[in-house]
Amino acid sequence: MSARGFLLLRRGGLLWGVANSDVEGLALRGGGFFVALSGSTLVADEILGVVEGLVVRRLAPSLRRFWPVAAAGMAVHGDEPLVVVDPERPPRVLRLEQGDA
Amino acid sequence: MAESFRRAPGVRDHRGAGTHLLVRAGEYVCALPLGSVRRVVRSLTVHPLPGAADELQGLAEFGGEPLPVLSLARLVNASPGANPSYPVTVVVWVGAADAREMVGLSADAALEVVELSTASIVAGDGGLLLGEAPLNGEVVRVLDLESLGRDH
Repeated sequence: MSARGFLLLRRGGLLWGVANSDVEGLALRGGGFFVALSGSTLVADEILGVVEGLVVRRLAPSLRRFWPVAAAGMAVHGDEPLVVVDPERPPRVLRLEQGDA
Repeated sequence: MAESFRRAPGVRDHRGAGTHLLVRAGEYVCALPLGSVRRVVRSLTVHPLPGAADELQGLAEFGGEPLPVLSLARLVNASPGANPSYPVTVVVWVGAADAREMVGLSADAALEVVELSTASIVAGDGGLLLGEAPLNGEVVRVLDLESLGRDH
């Protein structure tokens, strides 16, 4: 997959990436960060910024076998691995649930 | 410390025979085909994935690439051993040759390299456990790493 801009955020102790083109808005409310996508809103503990040039790898079968969560891929930023979010099916840990807002 | 293992001339891994790296995983000693071992490194820092099965410890970074790290003890249903003094991550290739992927296996220790013969391997499960083999008064579990990369 080729390079493009990604918004990096941290949630649940893990680094996540969202393609810039999927982000419709950012908000800070009550100490939490909210990332609006076209069909959902994500919650983040921290926003690290936008990076270019992430090399995104597909999720390997050995990973999918033990982690039944949809994702667009995985990558490394600096020396830290991250998961690239599938905007159509964001993982539960990132989704805005009632009471988060 | 990082130690490289390269396929030596004459190394065979067809049906489990050939040269293997022995590693300790909890109560078990497991034999990994040496041709599938890329490197043994001190235990990598792992970032857990929320909602992952117990076998998947998480993601690590290795050589600038994301690396899924699996618990070898969990994969072979081993009871945990004593706290390892030198835990390692064994970076291996899994899956078929034309679709192989790199995976880390966390283990309590890397032990030695041994030669196993086909005739000594018995009672596999058709999956990750290719079979068991007696070796120096101990039973080692011979693993088929190719099976880890298959879709299930």
